[in-house]
Order: sequence, then C-alpha cells, then structure tokens
Amino acid sequence: MTERGSRIVLPAGTSPSGLRTSSQRLALLLSRIWAWLFLALMILFFVIAVPLMSGGSVNFLTIRNSQNILVAIIPVLLLGLGQTFVIIAAGIDLSVGWVMSLASVLSALALRWAFDSGAPLFPAVLVGLVAGVGGAAVVGFVNGVIISKLKVPAFIVTLGTSFIVRGVAYLMSENTTVIGLPAGIRAYGNDALLYYIPGEGGGLYFLDRPEVSGELLRRMDTILPYPVVVTAFVVLCTMFLLHKTQFGRHTYAIGGSLQAAERTGIPVDRHIIKLYILSASTAGIAGFLSTLRFTAGSAVIGDPLLLSSIAAVIIGGVSLFGGAGTVIGTVIGALIIAVLTTGLVMLNVEAFWQFIVVGTVVIIAVLIDQSRDLITGRQRRNAAA
Amino acid sequence: MLRKQSLLAIAAGLALAVASQSADAAKIKIGFLPGVVDPFYQVMQLGVEAAAKDLGVDVVTQIPPTWGVQVQTPILDSMIARGDLNYIITAPTDKDQMVGPLKAAVDAGIKVITVDTFLGDGDYVKGPVKFPISYIGSDNTEGGRIAARGLAKAIGGEGTVYINSTNPNVSSVEGREKGFKEVIEKEYPKIKVLGPDYNLDDPNKATQQTAAVLEREPKLAGVFGTNVFSAQGAGAAVVNAGLGGHVQVVAYDATKLAIELMGKGVVSLVLAQKPFDMGYMAVQFAVADAAGVTSLPRRVETGFAIIDKDNVKDPAVARFVYQVPGK
Repeated sequence: MTERGSRIVLPAGTSPSGLRTSSQRLALLLSRIWAWLFLALMILFFVIAVPLMSGGSVNFLTIRNSQNILVAIIPVLLLGLGQTFVIIAAGIDLSVGWVMSLASVLSALALRWAFDSGAPLFPAVLVGLVAGVGGAAVVGFVNGVIISKLKVPAFIVTLGTSFIVRGVAYLMSENTTVIGLPAGIRAYGNDALLYYIPGEGGGLYFLDRPEVSGELLRRMDTILPYPVVVTAFVVLCTMFLLHKTQFGRHTYAIGGSLQAAERTGIPVDRHIIKLYILSASTAGIAGFLSTLRFTAGSAVIGDPLLLSSIAAVIIGGVSLFGGAGTVIGTVIGALIIAVLTTGLVMLNVEAFWQFIVVGTVVIIAVLIDQSRDLITGRQRRNAAA
Repeated sequence: MLRKQSLLAIAAGLALAVASQSADAAKIKIGFLPGVVDPFYQVMQLGVEAAAKDLGVDVVTQIPPTWGVQVQTPILDSMIARGDLNYIITAPTDKDQMVGPLKAAVDAGIKVITVDTFLGDGDYVKGPVKFPISYIGSDNTEGGRIAARGLAKAIGGEGTVYINSTNPNVSSVEGREKGFKEVIEKEYPKIKVLGPDYNLDDPNKATQQTAAVLEREPKLAGVFGTNVFSAQGAGAAVVNAGLGGHVQVVAYDATKLAIELMGKGVVSLVLAQKPFDMGYMAVQFAVADAAGVTSLPRRVETGFAIIDKDNVKDPAVARFVYQVPGK
C-alpha cells in the first residue's frame, strides 16, 4: 500500500485486450461483478434460510429489516467513502475510526454549548455539524501535510494521528459520554422521510411522524431515516467527485503512478492533502450522525469500525496498490457486511461467524483483483522484478 | 434496607408462583442480549437458559463480540426486526446512548428488562427513563463500598490505591467507582485514590495501565479492579512486577483466575456478583409479566458473595465462583 507508482499503466493502444479469449472475457466479467453476485446470493440465502430455521415466524425481507440494514451500514460506509479515495490514490487512512469519535465528541460539545447559549434547535444542530466535520477536517489536513510534504508513509502518519486524536477525544469528553444534549435532536437522528402503517387505521405519512401508540405504533415502519438520506447524498456527491470530475481523474492518476502524475503537471502534494481532508470529513459526518442518533457524544464510538470500513473498501474492489476502484463498490462492500450481521442475528447464529465470513471475503476480493491483473496483462514492477 | 429486600423477595416469589402456573398458557419468546463475551455474562446466560427450560419459554441469545453501543445496537435492531420476540433481556452498554435504541424496541411491542447495567439513573419509577419493566442486578455503589473497606483493611488503613475500570458512562462500573471513592473519602483520610483508568474491556490494556501505575507509584499499596477484565489485568500486573502480597488487589467479579490469584496471595478480596440469579429472575419476570402480573418490583438487587482466603474453600461460598461447564 505504500508502493506508490509501482504499477505501470499501459497506454490505451498497447493493451493486450484484443488477444483475449471468450473464457478470459467471462472471467473478467465475473471478476468485475462478483461482489454484486455475492451480495445477491447472500440475500437469497437469508431470504430462504431465515423462515426455514425459525419455522416461518421470522422473515428476512421486511420493510423494517431493510431499513435496519440501511441504518447499520451508515458508519462503516461513511468511513469507507473517504477511504476509497485515499486507497485509490495508493494511500491509507488508519485514523478514521478515532476521527469519527473526535467528531462525535466535538459535535456534541458544540451543539450543547450553542443550545445552552440560547440558539434554537436547528441552528444548534448546524453548529454541531460544523464543529464535528470541521474538527475532523483539521486532522485530515495535518495527515495530508505530513504525508505529502514531509514524505512520511501514510500508514505511519495516520496510525500516529489516530492515537493523538484518541487522546484528544478522551480529554475533551472528560472521559465520559457527553450528555445533556437537547432532547429534540433525537428526531434529527432517528426520524424519517416516510412512515407506513399497514392495515386498518394505518396509512402512509410523509415527513410527519404520526402520533400513534400501542398496536399502530407496533406496526409502524420507519422508512428512510434522515441519517440514511444524508448518507445517500454523501454517496452521490462522492460518486460525482470520483467519476465525473478532474479531482477524480487526478486521484486515479496518482494511484496509478505518482511520478507520472507529477510529470503530467498534477499538483500532487495539494491533491494528497485534499484527499486526507476528504477522508477525515466523511468520518466527521459519521461522528456527527452518531451523536444525533444516540443523543450523546462518545469518545469510543468509532473504535470498532475502522477495520470493517477498510474491509468494505477492499471487498468493493478498490486495489490496495492504488489506481482502481469505485464508490459503488464500497457501498456493496458495506452492504455485504451489514447484511451478514443482520442475517446471522435473524438466523440466531453467533455473531462471531461474521468475522470469519468477512475475513474470507476480503481475501477472495484481493485474489480476484490480482487474477484480473493477470488476465488483463497489467503488471506490477515489483512483481516482475 | 432489610425491609426493602424482604418485600422484593415476596414480590419475586409471587411472580414465580403465578409464572409457573401460566407458563404453558402463553408461549412467549425472549431475546437475551448481554454486553460482551465474558465469564460474567456466560454465567448469566446459564441462568437465562435454566429458567427458560424450567418455565417452558424460548430464548434467542446474541452476545456482542466487543463492548459498545456501535456493536450492540445493530444486533438489537436485528432482534427487533425478527418480529417474533415478546421480551428483550439486556445489559445496556451505555446508560444514556442505549435509551433511544431500546425505546425503539418498546415501540415495536417488545418489553425490556435490564440486567447488570441500567438506563438513565436506574430508577424506573421516578427517574428519567421509565419504560423498562425492571432492573435486576447488583447494588454496585454498595459493592464499591464493600470493596473500599476490604482494600482499606488489607493495606492497614493508609497508603495510595488505584482504580482500574472498563468504560465510562456504564452504570455498573460507575456505581462501583462512586461507592469506592465515597467510603475512602469519608472513612479513610489517610488513603489517596488514583484513577480510574479505562481499559475498554481489554485485559491486556488493564495489565499495561496497572503496570505503569506500579512503576510511577513505587509505594502503591492496593488496586481495585472494577470488573472481570480490570481485575484480571490488575492481578497480572502485580504478579509480573513480583509484588504479590505487597500490593493488595480487590477484584470485582469471581472469575477462576481471581480465585487462583487469591490462592497466591495477590488478591485479598473477591466480590462475587450473582449473574445466574440475574439471568434466571429476568426470565421469571418476563413470564410473570406476560401472565399479567403488575406488581413486579422495578429494581431488584441480587446481592454479593464476599470471598476471602478464609471462606474460599467453603462450598456455600465457592458456588458463586463463575463457572461455565466445559470452559
């Protein structure tokens, strides 16, 4: 992951693609869509197995469960989105988990301060957003500067800042959960675009949580909670950024070959700084959303998520050697992890199996990435030497 | 105190009587979601399963691999989404952050019983959080007080002591720290308290933290480990430093390791909680509630067995050591 520029990107005309046989083409196609297939097969498995194992009393495909999965992927996905850019550019950001924690604490403290000084709820929430994402971005800036200007490997720098950030988050939260936030923020973190109550006395409600209780409340499905909408918006923005803009093209170019990117006049150092700011910022959004969801800031909230988020990025087909990967791949990777967790709980299988499956899938993903390189004839200088 | 306890006992007994009569009538399904994998919760699981067998109810158990709301919540959400659970017995991993996710369970028609840790301030009658049926667990503040007196006695009433704990804002260990500090401040003016340090439920980290404090404070006289991991780590650090017998350790939670260390003179006092009771009674409460019992106590304190080197061999006490068959 630190072998920047180790891959030779063949110019378009010299690619040996014309020599490929049909079986090679099939293998190539499979290698591109295997994550989708795996996700689909896994969902199919749970759709069949869950009712079977529970004697028909539990179903996997319900509105509630689909929404659960969408909510469950939020932190892993947001950490993974910025990471996708960083890894495509042949870097790595190990600080995102603790940056998320710092953002959670900062946004909670700022939100509480703003509200207590008399700001209305919505502006106070915005203050929390700015503080959380802004604080995170500062960490990203520091990461980027040390990596690009002082030429320290990203692995070391972000490992270092992750410890520093962790300490700062603990100190700022005074070693406990940051509470005393206005109760109203619960709605921001948990309410939804749509509510659906099936059956008698029910209906569809848009943007307006129906005041129901008892049986109706029990039947009510919450569809597209606000954090899911925010995350979807971030996904769309990052897709646009990576696939439609010069920023995205430069990111691939730097990951393909740092030296070549420099020779073509890309402002590499400045771009790398921006990449780490982006990575920290999506982690910052994750921290802010978790503060709204749990109505409290926490210095430990992002700790268990770092490795899952990197796994999601790798499963999604981003090459750790840089130069290849997509945003939608990372979304699929995060979905695979979330569907697994949910499905295993519904099957009443111990949650630990999740680790074994995710670990296996990560290794398969890298094997497939390598075999794709074999088929397409792409080579790595270090592999050839 | 005594009157309150006996009242609770009567109520619980009543619940059991009603429960055992109607167990077959209403077949209920219970979800059990403890805090993390450790011997304490494994013994609690034994209690849950024993009661489920005795009362003829189904239990679905999911144990989070690590401690934290970010791990516990997705599992909880999936348990709610099953749609077939009537009750969830859980140990919330944060007394504030888990309020929302558990309220969502109640909204979905699932009743909540908290064990070992509670939500809000633990007063489900007058406190900020009222929706759980009951809290069944130790009086952790009292446990902290007992630990403080035990440690103070072991070190002769003066010196410096250190607290190693697991996570901030968790009702159980917070109560233990509070009770411990309260007694030392009031009753032992010659004792100075350091910490707590938080090891995030990682015994290696607890070892390291305690080792560092032992280096920094050559005159450290005692350590209070507030749960399984803290006590394991604190004990290991004292043994590694060759200070067994010179630095006294009081351990919350009666793991086999803590008892072993007591045999070696490292641990002077062990507070055994009663996780089996917590698990068993929580299932009883669920069954009783399903049968229409309305007078269930909102808070049940399960008490302690206090183990020292004089009574550790006594079978009546030794039965409270956390033992999981086959492990």
